This record gives sequence, C-alpha cells and structure tokens, in this order.
Amino acid sequence: MTIDLTQIEAQTREQRLGSITGYDGSLEDLTAQGCAGCLKNKSRDFQTVSSCAHHHAINQLAGLEGVVVVDHAPIGCAGAQIGFSVAKNRLPFPPEGPFPEHAKVVSSGINEPDTIFGAIDKLKKTIRDAYERHHPREIYVTTSCTSAVIGEDVYSVVLEMREELGIPVEIAAGEGLRSKIWASGFDAYSHAVSKVRFGEKKERKNTINYLGFAPAGREYVDPIFERLGLELICLTAGATQEDFARATQSVASWGQCSSQSNYICSVLEQQYDVRYLQSHLPYGGIGFERFLRDLGKLIGKEDTAEEIIAEEKAKYADQIAELRAKLDGKKALIALGSGFAFEYTRVLGELGVEVVHTVAYHYDPVLDQNNLENEIAAACDVKELKLNVAASINDAQEMETNLLIKHYKPDFLLSRGHEAVAWALMQGIPAMDSEIGFVVMGYRGLVEFGTTLAELLENTNFVKRLGERYKSPFTAEYENLKPFSFYREEAI
Amino acid sequence: MSIALNDIQPGACLENDYAWSEQQRVACAIGGIYTALAIERVLPIMHSGPGCQGNINGVLASTNGGQNADTFLESVIPSTNFCEADVVFGGQERLRKLVADSVKYYNADLFVITDGCTSEIVGDDIEEIANDYAGTGTKVIHVALPGFKGNNLWGHSQVLNAIIDQYLPTAEEAAAIPKNPKQVNVFGVVPFYDTFWVATLEKLEGLLRDIGFEPNIFYGRDKGLAAVDKIPAAGFNLLLSPWVDSDVVRKLEQKYETPFFHYPAVPVGPSETNRFIRAITEYAGTDRIAAEAYIKKQEDRYYYYLNHFLRWIYTCRVQPREFFINSSATQALSLTRYLVNDLGFIPRRIFINEDVPEDNQSRILADFHDLDWKGAADIEVIFTADGGLCDQYVKRSDTSFRKTVILGTTWDELTAKTRRIPFVPVSAPYGDVIVGQKTYFGYDGGLALMQDIFNDAAAKGMGTVN
Repeated sequence: MTIDLTQIEAQTREQRLGSITGYDGSLEDLTAQGCAGCLKNKSRDFQTVSSCAHHHAINQLAGLEGVVVVDHAPIGCAGAQIGFSVAKNRLPFPPEGPFPEHAKVVSSGINEPDTIFGAIDKLKKTIRDAYERHHPREIYVTTSCTSAVIGEDVYSVVLEMREELGIPVEIAAGEGLRSKIWASGFDAYSHAVSKVRFGEKKERKNTINYLGFAPAGREYVDPIFERLGLELICLTAGATQEDFARATQSVASWGQCSSQSNYICSVLEQQYDVRYLQSHLPYGGIGFERFLRDLGKLIGKEDTAEEIIAEEKAKYADQIAELRAKLDGKKALIALGSGFAFEYTRVLGELGVEVVHTVAYHYDPVLDQNNLENEIAAACDVKELKLNVAASINDAQEMETNLLIKHYKPDFLLSRGHEAVAWALMQGIPAMDSEIGFVVMGYRGLVEFGTTLAELLENTNFVKRLGERYKSPFTAEYENLKPFSFYREEAI
Repeated sequence: MSIALNDIQPGACLENDYAWSEQQRVACAIGGIYTALAIERVLPIMHSGPGCQGNINGVLASTNGGQNADTFLESVIPSTNFCEADVVFGGQERLRKLVADSVKYYNADLFVITDGCTSEIVGDDIEEIANDYAGTGTKVIHVALPGFKGNNLWGHSQVLNAIIDQYLPTAEEAAAIPKNPKQVNVFGVVPFYDTFWVATLEKLEGLLRDIGFEPNIFYGRDKGLAAVDKIPAAGFNLLLSPWVDSDVVRKLEQKYETPFFHYPAVPVGPSETNRFIRAITEYAGTDRIAAEAYIKKQEDRYYYYLNHFLRWIYTCRVQPREFFINSSATQALSLTRYLVNDLGFIPRRIFINEDVPEDNQSRILADFHDLDWKGAADIEVIFTADGGLCDQYVKRSDTSFRKTVILGTTWDELTAKTRRIPFVPVSAPYGDVIVGQKTYFGYDGGLALMQDIFNDAAAKGMGTVN
C-alpha cells in the first residue's frame, strides 16, 4: 500500500499488511495463502509475555544522532532503553570525537492524578525542560498505552511545541496495546523520522542505503559497494540528519530485514524513486548472488557484479566446503524474527543443515511497496528455490516454542533475543543467538556464521551438563501437550 | 532545564516541581513481579500489555548485571498481553482462562495475579479471579501494579503486602505458632533492583548465623514459601535499609506483634559492619562477648588483606579522594559511610534517584549526618526521581585538581569515561555485564569496593606520579 506521510501516525502492521502472529503449517502454504490474500490469524487463549511496539519505537528514535525522545507515559515504559544505549555505545567511535553519549529519553511520568485530570501541561513542560537541558535538533514524542487510554491529544502539543521551540517536534505513536506485533514500533519510528528528515527530491547520486539497527561490520561490505561505484549510507543507530537527507538521492535501498526496514525503504521508493531491493536479501551465498545481480542490473554494472560474485565465491569456497563437512546432516530448529527466520532457513541449507521447523515471530504476507512484481523474500525463495519447511508463527511464545523443541529434538536451536536459547540450553540442546546485518552478508558472512555454528557443536559439554541437571518447572499436563495446543477454537 | 543546578539545596525534594525524569534507574510498579520471582516457585500472571515485562526487565534484570529469574524465566510468565479490544470489552474473561491454564501448566506453589496501567484504568477485577481459587488448595493472590501509581519499590511493597494480607495466616491463626526468639526475618534488600542482592543476602545470612541468630531470608536459592511461612514465628524482624520495607515491618508488628530492629545501612567495610553487629547484639540481648570476638577476628582479617596491597596504593600514586554518588538510598548511604568512615573520602554530592517518599527524607538525611567526619552536617544530599540530574551536575562541575570518583549506574559510565573520572557501578541499571555473586557487603565487600575504585582510577590514568 502507499504510505501517506500526511497522516499523523502509521497504521499497525495488522491493519496495513494483514500481518499475523498465529499460524502453523508450512512455509509453502504460508506464502501461498499470503500471496492470495487469504491468510488468517490464529489467536491464543494461553499466552506468555511478548514485547511491545512502544519499546521499539523509542529504541530506534533514541539511537539517532541529535535527538531527544519524550515518552508520554508512566515512568516504566522507557525502563529498558538503557540496554539499547549500552549496545549502541559499544560500537566503534572516531577517536577524534564526538564522544558517545547515552540515549536521551525523557519520561513525562504520567501518574495517577494525570489519568483523571490529563497530563497535557505536564507533557508541555517536559518537552520544554528536555529542550532546555539537551538542546536537541529534533524531539520525538512517543505515546503510550496510558496516554492513549486516557485520551491525551498529544498531536496538538506536538504542533504547539514545534512552533514554540523552532525545531522539528514529531509524534511517534507506538502504543503497545494497538498491535500484537512489536515491529509496528519500527513503523512508528519510520513514519515519524520520514516526516522530519526526508526533504525535497533532488538529483540522483551514486549511493545506496542500508537500513538496520547498527552499522556493525560495514568494513566488510564497503569495498564491495565501492567496486560497484556506490557509497554506502547507513540509516542505522547514529545516523545523522544529513545521512537521511542524502538517502533520498540514492539508487537503491535494502534493509537488514523486512520488519525493521521496510517502511522507510518503501517511503524512499514511493516518494523518491529509490528502488527497494526487498525480494533477495544478501545473506549467505545464494542471497548475495541474487542481491548483487539485481543491483548490478539496476545500475547497469552486471559484469562487475558477476566479477565480485565469482571472486567472493572462490575466496571462501574451501572454508565453506570444510564447514559443510562438519555440519552436513545436522538438524536445526529456528525461532527468529519475521525478516530473518526464513533467510536463515535458506542459509542453513547452504551449509548442509536440515531445518526441521522454523518459527517466525510474526509474518507479513505483503510489504508496503506498491510494486507487485517485487515480492517478499520468503515467497521468492519458495518460488525460485522450492524452499519449504514446517513453519509456525508465534510472537516469542516460548511455551509454544518449547513444545516444538521437545517435539523435534533438534541438534541445535538458532534464535535471537527472546530466551528460546535459554530454554534449549537448559534442556541440553546446543543453541545460539544469531547475528544480523552486514556481519552475515555474502560468502564471508556464511563462513563467519558457519564457523560460529561449528564451534558451538564441536564441544557440547556445557549444555550437556546443564541438560543433565534440568528439572522442568512445568507440570506433566503441559509437558505432554502437542505443539499448537494454545490456539482458540475459531480463527479470527 | 529550568532548574538552576547550582541552586540545588541539600535535602531538597524536586519531585513535585520536576516530575519528569530521564535515565531511568527505577522501573514502574510492575517491577514488583521481580519480588515474586525471587521467591522460588512463585509465578506472577500478568494482566498487562505485551511489552510491560520487557520494559521492566532492562533496568531491573538484563542490564542490571545480567540477571534473570530462576524458577520461571521471564519469557514463560503468563500474560494476557492486554490489547485494544480489551479496553473496549474488558479483559477479565481472558484473564480468567489464562489463570486456569497457568494453574494446569506450572509447578508453582503460589500464583500472583498482577495488573497494569490499562487494565486498572478500564477496571478489570483481578481480585474476583483470585477469589475463584479460595478454598481450592491452589494458592492465588492478586496485586494491582499500575505503573502510574508508583515505581518498582512501590510495586515491591504491594507484592509483600499482598503476601502478608492474602497468603500468610491471620493474626488469630498465627497465635498458635510458637515464636522462635532467635529467628530473624530479613527485610530491606530488594531482590533484582539491588544488583548485589543474591550475594548480600547469602553473606548476611552467614554473618547472622555466626553471631548466634537464625536468619530467615525468603529470596533466592532454597528458600521459597517454606521461608515465607516462617515469617510469623520470628523473634524480630530486621529492617536493613534506609526506608524500603519500613511499611512491611510495621505491618508485621501490627499483625503478629513481631518487633523490628531498624539498621538503615547495609554494612560495608569494618566500621559499619562492627557497628551493625554491636547494635543488633545489643537490641536482641545476645552474647556480646562472642560478638566482640567475631568482630576482632573479622577486622584483623580485613586489615591483613588491606595491608597486602597497601604498597600498590601508596607507591607512586595519587588516590581518589572525593566522590559523587548517583544511586538508590540504600547504596548511597551504605557506601558513603564506608568511603567516609574507613577510606577517608569526601562526599561531593549525593543524588538519591529512587523517588523517596517525602516523609522519609529528613530521617535519611539524619542517617547521612551520622558519620565519623567533621563535615558530616554539611553533606549535600539531593532527593530526586530524575536520574539525569547528577549527570548534568557532573558535566557542569569543575573537577580539575580534584581526585573525583563517581559511583552510580551504567547511565553514568559514559560521562565518567569521557572525563576520565574513575567510576564504579553500584546499582540498577548496573550494566550489561554478569554481576554474579559480587557484593560490597561486610568486611570483604569493603575491600572489593576499594579494589574496584582504585583499579578504575589506575585504568583511567589518575594519579600515577611522574
């Protein structure tokens, strides 16, 4: 669908894209239903904690350079931001400065009287004081479940403060209760930052945009784009206003994954004719080859693209062969974010690993682009590579994933960020969180990932000892459930 | 910011005028679930948003020394994941089903139904659902934890009060339980929020046992409801904090006529640990001679190990001398007493950023004045909810010529790094590291803190004499 930046806020992924958090079947069926527009969501009676859009709207905004985020919420809603700030500030920074600073997230601290009398004046004061303390170039005001339920007119305050302070002040509406999909928070961030930072359409430049959490590992990929005559612009944590302004002049964009990156990539394609390369993500060798061919064709440098592919393939061929020998026939279970789950399903296949089941934390049957021949990556893999795997969708429902681990008894679990790894390890199954972004791009990335995996499986004593001591904290009734027992009877 | 930083007066309460805050060092009330999770086989069931647990987890657990819950890892906490439809139609029936399923799936001894901002505003009745289980043998209690009502310390208090009111026996039932004069229930150390809680409680338990008491601690390994059940039998309750849990020990005094002994600081280093031992011995009327023997032995041991690295400190080095603290009331007071009384440091400014209720502030200030130092009466203590206030103050302070140290949280780390000021994390959010069994409690803890301060001073290049 076409993104309308004149709207105050982004619609949720459920509303815009028909995205779901409940499904079980196969990748082939999932993509077929998604493409046909008939994919239904299954909801659960029994659920465990997940994550919220609000949290992710803030962490993306607060990572940008020159920004203060004012969170119109009770104090706790910004309580986890320190984790993102610490991670961001571990990235290398130039020795000449500026020195890294922690994220500037200011909570208006909605309290009990505010829920009765409103907190608009408090919000204004918070914005003014935050401005006076930090003198940011931009302020983003995030809304919360509480500000939404008590009916705060935050947008009016945003307009007033914009006038008063003379800097961009924008709303990012990512209330946790509006969407089951935390990636809707990425959209709230994307909508707000697109309104503020993308300017007039200007002449095309030889640049290419990467959207993601962090620019970690760009030193591995910069030379590849330089050979294609392209300069890489990273719209990631630390991105400046100038980076965003320049991004509108690029020839193409791609993202670390569709969940985090598709909104801004789609804005750039729809409004600035910057091609969104969404169908073939450059992970592993197969992904890399397809991505580079698409890019080479787009910029008329097919020959250079083929040269790079041949060189990279040859450079890492021996190491990949060694890794395949070690990993061939291993069985994996994947539990990963929507944009990565099926990428890693393909990448593991390249290393000779059989993926027995893939859990994705949500699924977008379509993305925001209005260019229908540009299909989502998972559907392309089904069509082009006949990729298929038993698959399910759950929003980090670890009680459900845990049943799958028990059912499939994989040789290892590949996950990221939501404790599936902890449950596997405790039960004696090797498991690891996976990298995303530049680090796992191309044949080099395949070797890096494969080496980590081979090391994980080379000595499994740690998990073996853990597994021997494991005592389930659950009842036999739970332990004997079949996977997918938590769905409600009717699909809604 | 409209506040003139130089105008900040000692003891000034900034809460009313400056309710907004940055650099969150507390979680919202839902953080109280960590108090439930710290008791083995107790399971919270959340009737709140999908991200509420994740939002408290950062400051209290994962970025607070790499902690996670033990019996039930956070990821399997049942939650209704309150959504928009629940605002319109109410989420009570979904919660009822969730609780019923949770009772079937988890080997928990106690289920604690909690709510949050939105479910509280729309008026879902969690008490009614808990009451469904009355008389069934399945123990279910309820605690309202809306974030707009208070921070995690308020939530902690709500959870403990709910356990006392809804789980523990009534005063009449408890009358039949014989009192054990040696049993001491330990309150004041807030699990998870106090980054060092695991080791502090383990060491405290050992110390109390060594001086003749039978400590009863509820949080951590091998305690669980068996320890909670023993609460009414205690000879007295120990309150080991400047203010947290004072409501709890008062409630227990009322309900079970259990007196309490209040010692405001968690003892760090020899002077304060000696003083604590003497005070609790005198309060309980236990063997003073044995206590003095224990003190002598431990103090000698402390100075033996201190002497073991004295040359390192005093050879070709300039020592850190003054300090800022930006931390919880407990850590601020406990560390100030050690740094001033034993190490001869000078407090520059103390920021207590956990939104201490106003009626506790003057008493806490008096605890800070109670130091073995002539400047104690002028010590500058700022009570605030704004974690970023200290950072602003340090950034604007002239620390040239001064040998300054910052004790705070990982929020303070970058400013200290940039200005090459020695820094030691002492409270939540402690940092993205594994805190493990570290603590600054007691005699050994004093040495550990001293080592951390001097090591970072050396790493930052402070004071190497040319």
